[in-house]
Amino acid sequence: MKRLSLLIALASAVALPRAARADDCDKLHEDDPQHPAPIVYMQVGDTQVNLMKRLGRAMRDNGHPVRMVFITDPSCTNINTIYGQTSTTIPKGQTLQYLPSKLEDPAWDAGNPMHSATLTCSAPAAIVPHVANSALFNSACPAPPATPGGLTVVPVQGPTQAYVLAVPTAAVPNAITFEEAYFVFGFGMQGMIAPWVDEKQLFIRKPTTSTLLAWAANLGIPAGKFLGVQEPGSPDVTAAVQSGTQASIGILGAEVYDGNRTTLKALAYRAKGQYAAYYPDSSFAARDKKNVRDGHYTVWSPTVWMYTKDASGAPTDPDAKYIVDLITGSPLDAGMPAPTGFSVIADAIAPVGLVPTCAMQVNRDFEGGELRRFTPPTSCTCTYEKATIPNKPSACAACDANTPCATGVCREGLCEAR
Amino acid sequence: MTKLKHLVFVLPLVLAACGGGNDGNGPRDAGGTPGIDAGGGTPDAACFTDPKTYKEIINACTDSVQVFKDSHPPLLNPDGTVPKLPGT
Repeated sequence: MKRLSLLIALASAVALPRAARADDCDKLHEDDPQHPAPIVYMQVGDTQVNLMKRLGRAMRDNGHPVRMVFITDPSCTNINTIYGQTSTTIPKGQTLQYLPSKLEDPAWDAGNPMHSATLTCSAPAAIVPHVANSALFNSACPAPPATPGGLTVVPVQGPTQAYVLAVPTAAVPNAITFEEAYFVFGFGMQGMIAPWVDEKQLFIRKPTTSTLLAWAANLGIPAGKFLGVQEPGSPDVTAAVQSGTQASIGILGAEVYDGNRTTLKALAYRAKGQYAAYYPDSSFAARDKKNVRDGHYTVWSPTVWMYTKDASGAPTDPDAKYIVDLITGSPLDAGMPAPTGFSVIADAIAPVGLVPTCAMQVNRDFEGGELRRFTPPTSCTCTYEKATIPNKPSACAACDANTPCATGVCREGLCEAR
Repeated sequence: MTKLKHLVFVLPLVLAACGGGNDGNGPRDAGGTPGIDAGGGTPDAACFTDPKTYKEIINACTDSVQVFKDSHPPLLNPDGTVPKLPGT
């Protein structure tokens, strides 16, 4: 056990952001003069860090390079920041994170916990982020302020983020029902749901975070009445459950849980009116998010990615829109190339536990709302499943310029339905 | 065809289509890790082959692992609903 704790501590330590040579973010190009990539400042939820790492690394060496420099804050804070065009969350000197290019660090690898730390730099001035992200329906947060300066915020629905209830791997329960979770987090000890009767072992987030708001909406508990110890970030919830008793339980984004599967166990969840409980994935060990995609696992939210456009309708920062378009699968503007040698779906979104909208079969209209059937106009289920079920023979036909699809559309080498 | 199939009539078909379990009567887990909850089991009574409504979607036939849990929270109302939160 001590050895495991030591390994966890070591892995955590090396994955922490580390300082780069340049302190000032605006001078980062001096580190890599061959790639003078423009900077896009981003303010995202902390469940999106793994996506930032993979996409941020790829964008450094992209045909149209962009340096994604980011900070993490709660979703509702991020919404307020971009709508109000405020710079209070990124004052001068604020530490921000970014990813090294291949030239700067050839061995950097998002999949290697020993060599995947972000680099840090300091905000050269107070900064209004070009891109903001929330990991839930914006309507779940208080109404944001009006946007000044003739600007309009453009919110675009992006990949789907599932949320889980995580317990220590040694804990006995494997599932929790809607009713049980309602009593655990709404009544605490009075709810008498064993083993979760110690409110000091319920690890939650602040009511401005997507993780808490999503669970609150799905359980019908007002965010302010959600019981438990409020942790400042998802890594803190992870650490608290890891070191907690067998009666500990924490709320996490599935993306965060997926990175900690060796030390945590996600509970299968049975929604109200459902006959069985389900994991987000088709089984405990799978990573295919099958039950999120088809509606058997109900606790999920869309991520929303926001940028601004000016009074003429043009994006205030074309590179900001480029990043949002890539993450959300939106058509790219003229002059903005699709990445070569890198699939945003297969290499950035799927590996971190997110589900692109084009692979979803259900949707909803507000946080915790009932699911309805959904047919994406452009499908990517073949690409998604190839990336997440590596040993399963694909039911999708392979295709290329010389081998067209008998039916469907050839995309990323596979015949997609649409 | 959206049709609720009752266990008593088409048990074998339902269990196969719903991925009802290793012996057709309980949950299974392809991953080999937890799949059967200690709380007991409730058979998968029905599933929907062509789900359209919310309740049909969440109870659609699937080959995913299903975890059945026999749960009886002490504070549950007699009709199975949850009571209001304290102080509301």
